[in-house]
Amino acid sequence: MSASAVFVLDLKGKVLICRNYKGDVDMAEIDHFMSLLMQHEEEGLICPVMSHGSVHFMWIKHSNLYLVATTNKNSNASLVYSFLYKLVEVFTEYFKELEEESIQDNFVVVYELLDELMDFGFPQTTDSKILQEYITQEGTKLEVAKSKVPTTVTNAVSWRSEGIKYKKNEVFIDVIESINVLVNANGSVMSSDIVGSIKLKTMLSGMPELRLGLNDRVLFALTGRDKGKTVMMEDVKFHQCVRLSRFDSDRTISFIPPDGESELMSYRINTHVKPLIWIESVIEKFSHSRVEIMVKAKGQFKKQSVANNVEVRVPVPSDADSPKFKTSTGHAKYVPEKNLVVWTIKSFPGGKEFLMRAHFGLPSVENDELEGKPPITVKFEIPYFTVSGIQVRYMKIIEKSGYQALPWVRYITQSGDYQLRTNV
Amino acid sequence: MPYLSGEETVKELRRALCNPNVHSDPLRHRNAVLRVIRAMSQGVDVSALFSEMVKACATVDIVQKKLIYIFLCSYAAVNPELSLLVINTLRKDCQDPNPMVRSLALRNMTNLRLSSLVEYVEQPLIAGLRDRAACVRRVAVLGWAKLHDLQPDSEIDAAVVNELYSLLRDPDPVVMVNCLRALEGILKEEGGVVINKPITHHLLNRLKECDIWGQCEVLKFLQRYQPQSEDELFDILSLLDASLVSPHPPVMAATVGLFLSLCGSLPAVGLSALRRAQGPLLAACGSGSREMRFTALCHIQLLLRSLPGLLGAHYKRFFCGYAEPAFIKQRKMKVLVELVNDDNVAMLLDEMKGYCTDVNPDTAQAAISAIGHIGRSYSDRSLEILVGLLGLKQDHITSAVVQTMRDLLWVCPQCSSTVCLALEECEDTMQDAQGRQALLWMLGVYGERISSAPYKLEVFIDDVRNETSAGVKLELLTASMRLFLCRPAEMQDMLGRLLHHYIEEETDMCVRDQALLYYRLLHCGKEETEKVLQGRRSDPSLGVLIGPPAESISQWAHSFNTLAPLLQSTFKPDSKPQLSDALRCDPVETSGNCPDKQMDSSTHIQTSSSAAPLSLSVSPALSPEKFERLWLQPRAQHDEHAAEDDCLWIEESIQCPAVFQCSAQSLQASLQLVNVQTLAFTPAHARPWKVYLYTRMQLDSRGSTLILGELVHCEEEPVNEKERTRAPAAAPQEEKTVRVTLRQQPRDDETLKAFLSILTTVLHTHSSSNETLP
Repeated sequence: MSASAVFVLDLKGKVLICRNYKGDVDMAEIDHFMSLLMQHEEEGLICPVMSHGSVHFMWIKHSNLYLVATTNKNSNASLVYSFLYKLVEVFTEYFKELEEESIQDNFVVVYELLDELMDFGFPQTTDSKILQEYITQEGTKLEVAKSKVPTTVTNAVSWRSEGIKYKKNEVFIDVIESINVLVNANGSVMSSDIVGSIKLKTMLSGMPELRLGLNDRVLFALTGRDKGKTVMMEDVKFHQCVRLSRFDSDRTISFIPPDGESELMSYRINTHVKPLIWIESVIEKFSHSRVEIMVKAKGQFKKQSVANNVEVRVPVPSDADSPKFKTSTGHAKYVPEKNLVVWTIKSFPGGKEFLMRAHFGLPSVENDELEGKPPITVKFEIPYFTVSGIQVRYMKIIEKSGYQALPWVRYITQSGDYQLRTNV
Repeated sequence: MPYLSGEETVKELRRALCNPNVHSDPLRHRNAVLRVIRAMSQGVDVSALFSEMVKACATVDIVQKKLIYIFLCSYAAVNPELSLLVINTLRKDCQDPNPMVRSLALRNMTNLRLSSLVEYVEQPLIAGLRDRAACVRRVAVLGWAKLHDLQPDSEIDAAVVNELYSLLRDPDPVVMVNCLRALEGILKEEGGVVINKPITHHLLNRLKECDIWGQCEVLKFLQRYQPQSEDELFDILSLLDASLVSPHPPVMAATVGLFLSLCGSLPAVGLSALRRAQGPLLAACGSGSREMRFTALCHIQLLLRSLPGLLGAHYKRFFCGYAEPAFIKQRKMKVLVELVNDDNVAMLLDEMKGYCTDVNPDTAQAAISAIGHIGRSYSDRSLEILVGLLGLKQDHITSAVVQTMRDLLWVCPQCSSTVCLALEECEDTMQDAQGRQALLWMLGVYGERISSAPYKLEVFIDDVRNETSAGVKLELLTASMRLFLCRPAEMQDMLGRLLHHYIEEETDMCVRDQALLYYRLLHCGKEETEKVLQGRRSDPSLGVLIGPPAESISQWAHSFNTLAPLLQSTFKPDSKPQLSDALRCDPVETSGNCPDKQMDSSTHIQTSSSAAPLSLSVSPALSPEKFERLWLQPRAQHDEHAAEDDCLWIEESIQCPAVFQCSAQSLQASLQLVNVQTLAFTPAHARPWKVYLYTRMQLDSRGSTLILGELVHCEEEPVNEKERTRAPAAAPQEEKTVRVTLRQQPRDDETLKAFLSILTTVLHTHSSSNETLP
């Protein structure tokens, strides 16, 4: 792994905070970072790893910050990037929003965290749930040294403290699936997949044991049951609380949940999905005079379901002017700074078809700047519905004290990277 | 806060820290410390406050302690004497009942990085190793690594090393992993931490307890273990199967790396592991973070060097999204080029065509040259797209297309008619010097087939005064000369003007000299000029071009899952620092992966006959272009053993009856077994039959030597000077003789002879096995 030092820079390249872990790379090397970045940017060859002499900078950008790790070894790149993203994750959990201001306002906590997250270039305690037990923003308020050792640092159940109490014991389960689609200009689906995640909001007392039942195809095949629709999940990732050995042996998802909100698992389904909202577009560009756009949107999902907050974003040339719209439903708006027409439909029932026409003027002088062919993108959200058909069959909650707890389940399908290419 | 300069800030802060009222109020005291740290992070030099901060260190407030320690560690190097004062506080903290305080003190004690303090640190570190709190042990273990890093020359006590080894059995997984890391650093001289069988099994059993960082680390260390039996190997592999398909890309990558190193002797197992890891690999390519995607793509490129067919079915996963950053798009295209096959070529080219109009000119250029690359095997389809792109009349696209066409023509001369037709239509003048150079080269070489060529050159010549690039000037000269040779009537006047201008007015010496040279050359007459200007070109009959060989996994396995594959985009491959590593090929490799027993033994006989063991290797790979350049370098004399300064030519005849009748593929396969790479073949029954090949040979201490070779078989009498080299009595065997021409650089007669005998053996074996076939 070996990152020699970690820096947080603002957009101008000024160091906001840094931590030297190994001392084998001169801390002044970071001054070369920004000039290197500018140089690469000019050449159009930005790259997540840059070198100056024997020093390599590996960096990521998050809102208005650069997080940079330096090393002079042939270290493990994927681990360094994972660590930088872990930093972002931990900081975000602490400060809600990770940006220049939050770093400056909380620099004490940031120093403390940097100290715990890594030692001598090796990641140490990176679980934010554990860290939150003994590094708190309230720490800046004065109190005499907390003499309590966080049990979780060495505890078997590191993600949950003992002695949690709720009046009403409930657990909310959100099943969220986003679909990624890429459709070619001639209307053929190039690639499509579903990325799903199951999120929990746990409000349970004590140390409850939970078991989640899904209509997992592998499980059904194992138990020999075969009724109803099942789902084949790939790349299943679990929160560390899930007992992987049990999942590996009999596909049972059993765990002691962390308190509050957490992502229990994520999965990917790599099947051919019919694009839920199908777009047909005709974009005619008459040079020097006008652009005419006709977009037809069709809901290709069940009639009972309704897609909410549908946004169809249609690209227009950057020099277009005087927009005119006509829509069969919803309303269209021109966003000149993004060169887009955004057509918003508040509610879009399945099986329906809507139409939007737009007309733009073009200047008589040709714009010689080369423009790319941005695709049409669509955003939407369909509640009470999952594309994959995944279902929570049961959620069993067992606690020593034997209380009754209620599980609530909610399904949402939303758009992920949903692109339809145009031929203009 | 009013604006204060650095010095005033320091004064102001010192006043606050020394104020006895502040001292008595913990809240104000902490605020004062906080201001110091804030000033420090803002880049103010507050090192002058060191002694004040040392005093402030004696506090019960743990946050204040942390802040002061951060301060002390940052400035300890400039205040080594004063740092001695902190040691007492730190040592006292090491006895604190609160484990958080103990670990904090211990960590910062080692972070001070002062060799003068080492003697005070050792004792608390030893105590820390036996502490009952895991968080203290974690820190103490790494503390030893830091200590060693500070004083690399002084030995760490053997007792401590033993204790660290025993801590590998610590119940806390992080302590265990830290022990591995620390031992690796401490024992670097002796080759790092020892991974024996009990340790391996222990680590494997506890792998699941570790977090992803720990897992990656353990997997990396396990690479060092050599299983004693095949059964044990397979046990380990099956234990690791779950990690191989882990959804965490770093764990998956570390496992793949481990599999590759464990299966070094069983390439087939390594391959099947890679196949199994396909899913997670593809998932990593679609990961949410662009850096992870980039890393994954770089590693896939690495894998494809050995397994060209891998992932071919999933080529659509490498299509670019519109908003993806250029570095990912360009990597994806490089991968796509590797994945092209008969089934997907149409789809793939269609997709690539879309990228050619990307807003980022570099991406567009990369797409165009990718199409050119595909054109080497699918020239018609690719050329159609390239020609279509010329119609867009975009300056940077035209330039890239013209350059790509030139490169394609080098390799596939059969494309020339289409290209000439396209150039005929192309009216643009390009801004880009590279593009103009490419255009001029093509106009010169294929000028007789482009009717408008002189008019195109005329545009350049009329504008000669405004030309700034020396490369273009030289190319323009050469192109005009070449065109003059085939179309003198149209060119004479223009060439005269050009030469006159360059000789009289040009300031660039290179260009002027070149012009003078051509001018004098023209005085020598047409034949002489033609001989110079129209030298040997790639032989159009050499149709089949075999792509770079599939490298053996061991070529790159050591750099898998490190930074190196990512850096190759920023460095030119020639300046790769690990090139020297790649050259170091052990002799085992020559015959090691040789399934054909017969071939194997024959190589051995040959190698044993020469004094030193021979080691052939085909890497670093030699591109066909480079080969051609080297091959066409003029030979000084044509005597049998003509020697230039550092390169040696020899010609031999080998009698092997049927070798030229067998298929190119089988000969290539058998040559590859002894690590000789074939670059080009004539079709099987063409006459003269030719094969071009190369290999590199290890010279014991002086690096390696490159051998290029040509095998020729003519049914007719061989021509002119070559006759002398043949034995006079060879006439009846004439038809069964293959003439071998070898060029070696740097020269080394012995190895060349040895190579010749290997080659002879291979050809004999091959032709005899071929003869037995009907």
